[in-house]
Amino acid sequence: MWQALRSELHPQGLEIVTIALDTDPAAARRHIERAQPEHPSLIDQAHLVDTLFGIVNVPSGVWIDEEGMIVRPPEPAWAKPRPPREIPATATPRQIAVITEVNKIRFEAEKYVAALRDWVANGRASGFALAPDAVVRRSRPRPIEEAQAAAHFELGQHLHRAGRIDDAVRHFRRAHELQPDNWTYRRQAWSLADPDQGPTDLYASDWLTDVLKIGAQNYYPPLDM
Amino acid sequence: MILESLQIDPAEFERQTGWAIRPEGLCKDDRCVPLPGGALGDASGAGGPRLDVRLLAGRLGMPLIHDEANGLWSLGPEADGRVLSSARAPELILPDVQSREFHLSSLRGTKVLLVAWASW
Repeated sequence: MWQALRSELHPQGLEIVTIALDTDPAAARRHIERAQPEHPSLIDQAHLVDTLFGIVNVPSGVWIDEEGMIVRPPEPAWAKPRPPREIPATATPRQIAVITEVNKIRFEAEKYVAALRDWVANGRASGFALAPDAVVRRSRPRPIEEAQAAAHFELGQHLHRAGRIDDAVRHFRRAHELQPDNWTYRRQAWSLADPDQGPTDLYASDWLTDVLKIGAQNYYPPLDM
Repeated sequence: MILESLQIDPAEFERQTGWAIRPEGLCKDDRCVPLPGGALGDASGAGGPRLDVRLLAGRLGMPLIHDEANGLWSLGPEADGRVLSSARAPELILPDVQSREFHLSSLRGTKVLLVAWASW
């Protein structure tokens, strides 16, 4: 996904680091091996970057300058435009509903990549590079409930990896209750129960139900750039 | 941070949370808070002194969740501020696809775009 942009911008001084939020790393590994990226491709089973940077959905990008200062906190990030998905003739009613909602989601790849190119070319002088106080101000507030959600999610993924599935589900559910707008916590847990993230007995909701509730156009916040 | 014991090696606590023991107290970046009384145990045991996680969690505003059935605790991040307390990028240490440990700080001197994605 990111290799073409990396080939273009690496000679100008940009490195791309991809981080797969996958409690079960095998699936991420298959994608990475197929893409054969030249850039570091990391695996984050515990969703550490949710806690460290405030990531709540994927794909999300963070810009860090040569001095190690964040110049843009997490925001939706795309390498290339996404053409609308076609509905296969064999699709079930649920699959049709999912694809219909996916096609309503706002993807702003052109805008994002143009801004990234501007920053790589102009550095601090780029209008897209934010000052340190603006970076902190734009990062998410962390009330106690969200700090607790992070602790429960970490227990959930730890117990899932140890094979304690029932106990893992209990902690995933608690994380969902405490931080309901974190899509990575929900989609990770749903996908471990059902690869299609459909309804199961384990969780109170599923991808389609939640997207219909908020409106697909609100799935990603508009880019503020 | 997953714990099997509430007594932890200070170096491990620093690696996981960024909070280090210094003469001024507990410090991270340019912030320091006093070390709670009794938080640093004596050094007579094997492996040097241990920190009392319960006391540190209270002082730093970190939730400590106990899973009694599995004998585990989970220490969450500091609450009540912003996720980024400063614009300085935190150290990020994760395995790459070949299971080699990668340090974000190894890219100092280069612009970096971090991209979080998932297979699901």
